[in-house]
Amino acid sequence: MNALIISAVFGVVMMFSGILLKNKSSIRAVAIAGVLVLLSVNIAEMFSGPLLSVSVDGMMRFDRFALFFNTIVFVCTLIYFLLSGRDMEKVGVEYAEYFALIFFILAGTVMVASFTSLLILFLGIEIISIPLYILTGSDKKNLKSNEASLKYFLMGAFSTGLMLMGIALIYGSTGTFDTALMKIGTQSPDLPAIAGMLLLLFSMSFKVSAAPFHFWTPDVYDGAPTVFTSFMATIVKVSVFIGFIRLFDEAFGKLHGTWQLWVAVISALTLLIGNITAVFQQSVKRMLAYSSISQAGFMMLALFAMNSTAKEGILIYALAYSLASIAIFSVLVRMSDYTFEGFNGLARQQPLVAAVVTICILSLAGIPLTAGFLSKFYMLNAVMLTGKYLWLVIFAVLMAAVSAYYYFRVIQAMYFKDGNATIEAGTGFKVLLVVVAALIILVGTFPSNILYWLYF
Amino acid sequence: MLSVVALFAALMVITSKNPVYSVLWLIVTFFAISGHYILLNAQFLAIVNIIVYAGAIMVLFLFVIMLINLNKESEPSRNRWVKMAGAVAGGCLLLVIVAALKNTEFNDKSAEVVSGDIGLIKNLGKELFTTFVVPFEISSILFLSAMVGAVLMGKKD
Repeated sequence: MNALIISAVFGVVMMFSGILLKNKSSIRAVAIAGVLVLLSVNIAEMFSGPLLSVSVDGMMRFDRFALFFNTIVFVCTLIYFLLSGRDMEKVGVEYAEYFALIFFILAGTVMVASFTSLLILFLGIEIISIPLYILTGSDKKNLKSNEASLKYFLMGAFSTGLMLMGIALIYGSTGTFDTALMKIGTQSPDLPAIAGMLLLLFSMSFKVSAAPFHFWTPDVYDGAPTVFTSFMATIVKVSVFIGFIRLFDEAFGKLHGTWQLWVAVISALTLLIGNITAVFQQSVKRMLAYSSISQAGFMMLALFAMNSTAKEGILIYALAYSLASIAIFSVLVRMSDYTFEGFNGLARQQPLVAAVVTICILSLAGIPLTAGFLSKFYMLNAVMLTGKYLWLVIFAVLMAAVSAYYYFRVIQAMYFKDGNATIEAGTGFKVLLVVVAALIILVGTFPSNILYWLYF
Repeated sequence: MLSVVALFAALMVITSKNPVYSVLWLIVTFFAISGHYILLNAQFLAIVNIIVYAGAIMVLFLFVIMLINLNKESEPSRNRWVKMAGAVAGGCLLLVIVAALKNTEFNDKSAEVVSGDIGLIKNLGKELFTTFVVPFEISSILFLSAMVGAVLMGKKD
C-alpha cells in the first residue's frame, strides 16, 4: 500500500520538478531517487509490515507474492531509468512528464499485483493503459508513433470494454466484486459467470498480447519511441501477467478444468505465431516485438499450470525477461540503424557491449546458465506437474528452438559480419550493462537465492 | 405519458431521413428515459444519464455527423441484402432480449415507483465514501494521469 501511495505522490512530484528544475539531469536524479524510495519502502514492507498502515477494506491484499513482485518491478524500473533515462530526452521536450507517467504506471502495477476486488483490477489496468497510450504517441512529429498510439488506444479501449462487460456479468451472477467471496464453480454451472470469465480471459490476453489478440503488438511496439517500447514490453507486460494469474487463481481457481484447454490453445497459438513471424523480420526492433509475443506464450504456460511451481516460475520469468530485454533495448536505442545489418561488426567496435548483448540474447533464447533457461525450465516443469497436455511441453520446446534462430542472427551480425556499427557508451553505461549481465547469470545459477526471499 | 414520449421519439430516431434530426430525437428519448429514472427514485442515474448521454455523447454524435457531412450524394447505397442482414441482426437481438426477459423472475413489486431508496444520491454518496472509498480515491490517479496525457498531447512543441 505504501508503494502505491508513494508512486502516485512521486508522479506529482515529477510534474512539479518539470516546472522547478530546468536541468534535465537533475530531473532524472529526482526520478531515480523516487524509484529508490519506492524500492526501499517496499522492501521494508516485505520484512516488517507497512510503515504507514492504511485500511483498504479488503480490496487489496499485500501478501508476500505481491510485495516480492513489486520489488522485482522496482528493481527493473531502477535499471531501466539508469540505462535508458538519458535517451528519453531525445523523444520530446516534456522530459519530466514522461517520468510522471511512468510513476503513475508503477502505481497501476502495484494495484494489479495485489488486487482482491475486480474494481481495483479494472482501475489498475486502466492506470497502466492510459499513460501508455500517451507514451506511445509521445513522439508527436513521427507519423508512425501517432499511428501506433491511435491503434493502441482504439484497440485497448475496446478490450477494456470487454473486460468491463465481463466484470459486470460476474457481478450480476455473484453479487460481489471480491474474488474470495465469489465462489464461482462451487454450484452448478453458472452461465453468466462463465461468460464473464471468458470475456475477462480475452481482454487480459489482449493486454498481454497473446494470440489471437496480438495484432496490435508489432505495430505499437515498432511505432512507439524505442525507450518506451522497452518499458511497455517488459515491466508493464509482466505486471499484467501477475494480475492475470492472480485473477484466474483466486476468482476462477475452481473452474480450472473449464478454462485450462482455452489457455493451452491460446499459449500454443501465441508461441507459434510469435516465433514463426519473428523469423521473417528484418528490423531488430520488430523482431523483439514478436519475440515479446512468444515470451508471452511461455508465460501463459504458468497461467495454464497454476500450481506453486508456476507461481515461483512466473516471478523468475518476469525478472529474467525484463532484465534481458531492457538491456537489449537500451543498446538498440543508441543504434543508428535498427536492422540486423545495423549490428554488423559491433563486437569489434564495442566488445564489452556486444558481450553483454550476447548474454542477454542467450538468456532470452533460454541457453543454460542464464536466467532465461531457468525460467523456461520452471514453466515447462509446472506444466509437466499437471500431468496432462504433454504435447504442450513438446511444442514449447520446439518453439524455443525456433526462437534460437532469430536471436542468434543478432549475435552472428555482431561477431561474424564486417561492418562498423558502434554506439555511444560511457563508462557508467558499460558498468551498468555488466551488472545486468552478472544479475542474469546469478539468477540463472543460483535461483534459490532469489526465491528464498519469497518464503524465508 | 413519459413512456409514450420515449417510444414516439425512439421511432422518430429511426424513421427521420435527416441524421441530424435523428440525433435530436435521440436526445428527446434520453430525456424521457431520465424521467423514468426519476419516477423510480433513481436520482443519480437520471442526472448522469442526462449529463453523459444527452450532453457529452450526443454532442460527439452531432460533431461526427456534421464532420462527415451526410447528404443525398454521399449516402451509402442500401441494397436489399443489407436491409435483410439488418433485419436479421435486429431480430436476433429482439429474440435474445425477449428470451432473457422470459427467464427473469417477476416478484410482486416489479417497480418501486417513488418509494425505493437505493438510487438516492444520499445513499450512493454514503456507499461511495465508506465501502468504496479506496477505489474512489484511486481513480483520482487515473484521472490525473489522463489529464497529464491530454495536456502532453495537446501542447505545442
